[in-house]
Order: sequence, then C-alpha cells, then structure tokens
Amino acid sequence: MSWRSGLVWSTIGAVLAGLYLPLVPPLFFSLMPETPAEPAPTLRWYLEMWRNPLLTGAVVTSVEAAVMVALVTPLLALLAAISIRELKMPRLILGLMLLPLLVPGVSTGLAAAFFFKQIGIAPSLGTIVVVQILWALPFALLVVLTAMSTFDPVLTEAAHMSGAGRWRAFRDIELPLIWPGASGAATFSFILSFNETTRTALVQGPLNTVQTYIWSTYKQIGLSPTLYALMTLLILLTVGLSAIAVALRRQ
Amino acid sequence: MRLQLLGRRALLLLPVGFVTLLLLLPLGFMVVVSFWKRSLLKLVPAFELSHYVDFLTGPRLTVLGRSFLIAIEATMICLVIAYPIAYYLARHARPSAARLVLLLFTIPFLVNYVIRAFSWTYLLGRTGAINNSLIKIGVVSGPVDWLLYSDFAVLVGMISSYMPFMIFPLWISIAGIDHRLGEASAMLGARPLTTFLHVTLPLSMPGVCAAIIFAFVGCFGESAVPIILGGVGYQLIGNEITSTLDVLNYPLAAAMSSIVTAAMLALLAIWYVAFDLRSFLGKILAWRLQ
Repeated sequence: MSWRSGLVWSTIGAVLAGLYLPLVPPLFFSLMPETPAEPAPTLRWYLEMWRNPLLTGAVVTSVEAAVMVALVTPLLALLAAISIRELKMPRLILGLMLLPLLVPGVSTGLAAAFFFKQIGIAPSLGTIVVVQILWALPFALLVVLTAMSTFDPVLTEAAHMSGAGRWRAFRDIELPLIWPGASGAATFSFILSFNETTRTALVQGPLNTVQTYIWSTYKQIGLSPTLYALMTLLILLTVGLSAIAVALRRQ
Repeated sequence: MRLQLLGRRALLLLPVGFVTLLLLLPLGFMVVVSFWKRSLLKLVPAFELSHYVDFLTGPRLTVLGRSFLIAIEATMICLVIAYPIAYYLARHARPSAARLVLLLFTIPFLVNYVIRAFSWTYLLGRTGAINNSLIKIGVVSGPVDWLLYSDFAVLVGMISSYMPFMIFPLWISIAGIDHRLGEASAMLGARPLTTFLHVTLPLSMPGVCAAIIFAFVGCFGESAVPIILGGVGYQLIGNEITSTLDVLNYPLAAAMSSIVTAAMLALLAIWYVAFDLRSFLGKILAWRLQ
C-alpha cells in the first residue's frame, strides 16, 4: 500500500468514525443509575421501559407498520421496475417514483394529513403505512433496479423460445434471480419505516410509533435514561438487521 | 387475452397510481388549502392570498432565506466530502472493498437522524466528548461554546444525516464512466488533473446533480435538527412549518409548505430537463437506455 492510498483510507476511516460516533452516547446514558449512590452500570431502564403502556403500544404500532411497509413496498418497487422497463415513458415513471425523495418530509406529511382529513379517512395505522411506503419506495426501487440490472435478458428470450409465456418466463427465470434484490428491498423498507419520524408524526392521530414517541416525549419532558435505553435498542436493531441483510446477501 | 393484457397493464400502473393518488394529489390539495380561510377552528374554502402575503412580508421570509443558505452550505460541504470518497471507491478501490465501505456508509444513515441529533447535543456540548478531548490535548484552555446550539451544530447534524447517502449516486455515475476515455485523455498528453476536470467531472455530473438535489431537499426541509441542535429560537423553514401547525394555523403552514415544495419541484424540473433522469443510474438501467 502506497502512502497515498494509506492517507485516503485513513481519511475515509475518519469520516466513517464521525458517522458512527453518534451511535455510541445513548448506550452510556442508558446505563446510568438515577443517583450516584447506586451501582454504576445498571440495566434497570431496559426493564422499566416495558412498564410504560404508551411505549409498549408504540412498539406494537411500529412493528405492525414496519411489517406492512416491508411487505407492500418491495412489491410496488418490483412492479415499478418492470413498468419502467416495459411501458412507454420510462423517464416519466422513474421521475414520479423518485419524487418522494425530492419532497421535504414535512410537506409530504402535511399534504397527506390535509388530504386524508378532506376525504374522511381518520388517522390510523393505514395512514402511517401510506406515508412510510412513500418514503421507502424510491430506495426500494433503487435496490430492485440494481438487482435487475445484473439479470441477462437473453435468459428470458431463451425461456420464450422454449415455449414459456411472459408470466411463466418472469416467474420461473427472472424472479428467482432478482429475489435477493427484492428481499433486500424489504429489509431496507422495514428499517426505513422503523426509523421514520417527520412524516409519521403528521398523520398518526392518537397512535404513536417508537420514533414519534421519542420525539414527543423529548418535546414534552426532555430526555431520560429510559428514552436512551429505547434509543440504544433501536440503534442495535437497525445495525443488527442491516448486518443480517448483508450476511444473507453474501450467501 | 385482451382482458389479461388489460389486467397486466393495470398491475404495472399500480405504483404510478399509488404515488399520483397519495403524493401528487395531496400536494396539489395542500396548495388549495393554502388559499383557504381560517374561521375559528375550521377551514373554509376561499381564495385568500393573505397567508402568502403574511409569509412574504413578515419575518418568516428571513427564515426562508436562512434555510436556503444553510442548506446550500451543508450540501456543498457534503459534496466536498462525498465526491472524493466516491471517486476513490469507484476508481481505485477493489470492488469488494468498495462494496463494504458503501455498506458501512449506509448503516448510520438508516439509524433515525433524531436519535443521532440527540447524541450530537452531548458530543458537542460544553462538557461533551469533543470539548473534553480538545481541552485534554491542550488545543483550547476552556470549553468552546459555539459547538452546540449554533449554525455549526446544525450543519454537523445535517451533514451527518445526508452525506452518507450522497456517496451512492456519485459512486454509480463515476463507476459507469468508460475507463478508456481517461486513458485516451492521458495518451493525448493531459495531466491527471486536466483529465479529471475535462473528462471525469463532466461525465459524472448526472450523479453530482442527483446527490446535490437529494441532500439539498433534505437539508432545506429539515425540521428536527434545527430544533435539537439549533437551540431555543433557532428557526429554519422546516421547524417554522411545524411550529405554525402547533398553533393550528393550517393555511399558513400549507402556504409555507407549498412554497418549499414548489422550490424543490423547480429544482427537479431543471434536473429533468438538463439530464436524463436515468443517466445517473448509469449501469443500473443499462438495459433500457434507449
């Protein structure tokens, strides 16, 4: 390794360190006892937080929403990818699919809130799922498109020549090959849903997700060791899920 | 057979329908609401420009200007950090190493940025890790005050939120450039810097624009980071909108949000006209570039 590439790698390492640094402090604060008299690292906040019904309710909502987002988004992304390939005006479709990335979260949430109110849909799990799908869709599409780009269309032609119809060729030949991409998109969507705050907060009504619970508790009473314990769990979950997704892809 | 074809077409149009119905239509409706009247707690359909006049003549206009400046600063700093990394990963790193590093950049991006912003308040605070280390190694004698609750802190929060993801479009577009073009340029006697400025950089512009727009939109509409890291009274347009909502002035919030969205769509339109949207995806869409 030349001194130059050593320099570049250490710069990249420093930037990465700066990005990972904020993942550490919540862990420390979550282990702090209430008074200095108590023994120093304590796990009591991790136990105590489950006694809060508001929080456990928020966990349930978060998981429900994330599962639905993870099921629907890859499907929409897959359909969108195929429509970009097969319909006319691929540019327009792609632009439309990437649009949610280009509209600020506050505007997306606010517009959805007005819209749902006007057409008489009460804030619910459904409205939460809709705004989270909008947020996850562009990312899921990019993941699916990446997977599809490695697929050789010659294989589809071969299937056609062997007498397979369009659907059969897609199901038996292309789908198995791009499946890792679709499952990657599902994991990505799950994580994005689980970590969304801005859009969700505007359409959740009486519900709370874990993230909006953290946000509203912060705004009303401030941060507490329990909140830090929750954040630590969320960080571990996100990092863990990402690691699992990567490991699965390697296989 | 016809019916089957029709069903297929309908299925393929499902995502388009989803985004149109649940994003485009609501955004359009939000613009409509921004002209409505507020009477007590209800909204009455009307055509009033008063919210826009309020916004454009009041102190909120300065907030808009400042949000614009901060977002531009943050985006430029992001680009200066992300471009060289993406360039190196695309051109000089082994593909397996590049993939690993790209992945390492994704993970912190996925962790909720509100949580990361909370961490920064500790790290940047008077008694936080950064001040302590600075004092320990003797760079400063007392804690540095401007690290937290300042433009600096907000910039740190924004950059760490949006920079990681910028690397992707940059990497994709740089990796998609034909190596032989650079070699040809070198053979014709161009120095590496000349080759970079006249060959690589122009060809990577679609990725640069995608990255810039992504980060700029995020930073410009940011609502949580200014509240957490900017401190009391620190207003950017994003949290200005949410605080207007807190006082139930929905039409004004809609008007501000419409202005922000219009600014973003204008950016998108420029991008759409200047580049083929598909070109920043380069290799990913190689099968359908015609």
